[in-house]
Amino acid sequence: MQANGIDPSTGFLDRDSCLDLLGRLASSAAASRQMLAALWIDLSRMKQVNESFGHLGGDMVIAQIAQRLREKSAGRGEWCRMGGDEFVCLIPHCDAEHARQLAQDLLQTIEAPIRFGEIFLHPSASIGVAILEADEDPFVFLERADRAMGTARRQGGGRAVASGEEPLPGRLGVLLAREELRIENQLHLALENGGLSLHYQPIVGFDGRIEAVEALMRCTVDNEHIPPGKLIPVAEKTGLITRLGEWSLLAGARHASHLNNAGYRTKVAINVSRAQLSSAKFGQALHAALLCANVSPELIELELTESLFMDISETVQANLHTARTAGVGLAIDDFGTGYSCLANLKDIPATKLKLDRAFVIVLPHDRRAFAVVKVMTQLGRELGMTVVAEGVEEQAQLDALREAGVDAIQGYIHARPMPEDALLEWFRKRSAA
Amino acid sequence: MTETTETPSTSPFDAMLEGSLKDIGIPPRPLILERISHEMLQPEPDYKRLSSVISADVSLSASLIKTANSPFFGYRGRVRSISEALMMLGLDVASRAIAGIILRQAFPASPHFVRFWDSSARIARLSGWLTQYLGNHKLRPDDAYTFGLFRDCGIPILHLRFPDYPTVLAQANEEARLGFTAVEDAKLPTNHAMVGCLLAQSWWLPEELCLAIRHHHDATVIEMPAFTPPPTSRYRIAMAQFAEYLLQRHTGLSHTCEWEKLGTACLRLLNIAEDEVDGILAAAVPVIEAEE
Repeated sequence: MQANGIDPSTGFLDRDSCLDLLGRLASSAAASRQMLAALWIDLSRMKQVNESFGHLGGDMVIAQIAQRLREKSAGRGEWCRMGGDEFVCLIPHCDAEHARQLAQDLLQTIEAPIRFGEIFLHPSASIGVAILEADEDPFVFLERADRAMGTARRQGGGRAVASGEEPLPGRLGVLLAREELRIENQLHLALENGGLSLHYQPIVGFDGRIEAVEALMRCTVDNEHIPPGKLIPVAEKTGLITRLGEWSLLAGARHASHLNNAGYRTKVAINVSRAQLSSAKFGQALHAALLCANVSPELIELELTESLFMDISETVQANLHTARTAGVGLAIDDFGTGYSCLANLKDIPATKLKLDRAFVIVLPHDRRAFAVVKVMTQLGRELGMTVVAEGVEEQAQLDALREAGVDAIQGYIHARPMPEDALLEWFRKRSAA
Repeated sequence: MTETTETPSTSPFDAMLEGSLKDIGIPPRPLILERISHEMLQPEPDYKRLSSVISADVSLSASLIKTANSPFFGYRGRVRSISEALMMLGLDVASRAIAGIILRQAFPASPHFVRFWDSSARIARLSGWLTQYLGNHKLRPDDAYTFGLFRDCGIPILHLRFPDYPTVLAQANEEARLGFTAVEDAKLPTNHAMVGCLLAQSWWLPEELCLAIRHHHDATVIEMPAFTPPPTSRYRIAMAQFAEYLLQRHTGLSHTCEWEKLGTACLRLLNIAEDEVDGILAAAVPVIEAEE
């Protein structure tokens, strides 16, 4: 079928010719101290196309995409077809920046719909980018591009990943990626089978008032509990975090309404992610939740994760103001560690400051930590915020926090997170006492 | 129907609240759906127990059997009992069919809403029939049908919450240039597509359905090869829009400008040429009239 090392459907070099060429280009790049870039492109869903339209149909799609790739790269690189739906482009004199730009351009050109008989196909691809390093074996170099492509695919495809940017290369990386895929799958199941629930942990003021209850997500699929530490990073990577966040908004708001109807007028604090707050639709989603739950906005508080502090964009600012204008409270979570930054405090119209548990666990013995807590508390108060300490487990910690001027406490010393019904019972017992 | 349904895992407190929330028109997830999904997650779902739970509600049972037998739902064969309906549809499809039936009952019954739900049901049935008739392999008739029922469920919620919503709705219907939801967003803090999406999410409906509700007025998402919403969401949107257009053509009443804004993209996605539309309408007329 193949003549002169050329793949007949695409006109690209075949695999063997590609490896020959790779050796030659790598030697010449090394000799002249020039750059050499490799892009490894994997088309998504070709198996599906082949199954639906036969291999002839698949070949037609491949040929059309190959044509687009050739046009887009405009003679800058050597194109090779490595296998059914995988291509490699070797580009001499190309640095990382240009390679990445080209990868983005190629993704775009691949994604234009292809009219195929009676339907439109929507192709997409994953691209791995590598730059030849000094003294690097050319095959190792190509393998790095392949591995980066694998990472792009595991991250959901439709993207380019440069070698070296993968979270963890090697066997461990592969195992972790598999685990992530599994969790992603569990998450989809949870979202369609009612596997999500919220547990609530009370935040109790030193005056005895229930300051709020924090809603914490629980995910159970097939009797397996998936801890938030595993769940949230995967949800963030796959974009499912927005859906989880919106689900929590409505579920939490409904619970606030339930509590209020049962005579317990307590705020429900709901965690919102950076992805949610970066969306122009956040305001509409928040209002939709308030509306569906028929709850007064004063009974809702949004807990802002610390990663939000990395970049407070105009959209985030606008969304926070929308929430405040609606009457919803804003709490800054995990304050004092990570990305928290004093400069950001003035930009966020927050109503509550939650001190990170890292300060609490060393109390009362660590007097320096105590001093920091005291100052942060004063700062929060000056800015008109209620100050809460998280992770309080012992009486001595509680006493120290009272001395530091903290307003309210969240932690096992008062109650563990509990399901809706148990929380209601907790309220009942408390009011009876 | 929820009153007759026992769900041991849900507290009496919830049941009480569900009743009170229903009175003011905010529908949390019906208990019967909880019951079905609980059963679906079992290694061996107990069809007999589920059948008896559903059969206890006479009007739900009648509606489910009718739905399972209707030509627009994409199934052939006559079922006579709930257990037959469950076996034929499968729990997955049955639970969505039940969700569609309950949706309407979760809202207060007012003459205004009756017209609204009737119109949704007509679009749903025609979408299901069209999906079969056009042989669209990307979409299942029952998915097209369920989407038709849920597509605009945010509208009655906004009606209940905002006294001047009818005015906003009229403006959105007449708007020839801006997107439908953009008109709502300009007057209200949210829009019916977002509200409907959140409601569907809280009923644990499939992601493709939720995203289709969320984006059903976005001209750009119908054809753009975006990652969200997935292709099946876009087909749902286009099929329902096409069904609505055919119904409007048939009745001679056009209440919206949506076809002017979205029609071309919908036809392109469904791979229907402009000159084929009249033929499809002619084929659909007996179906539209038969059900009246």
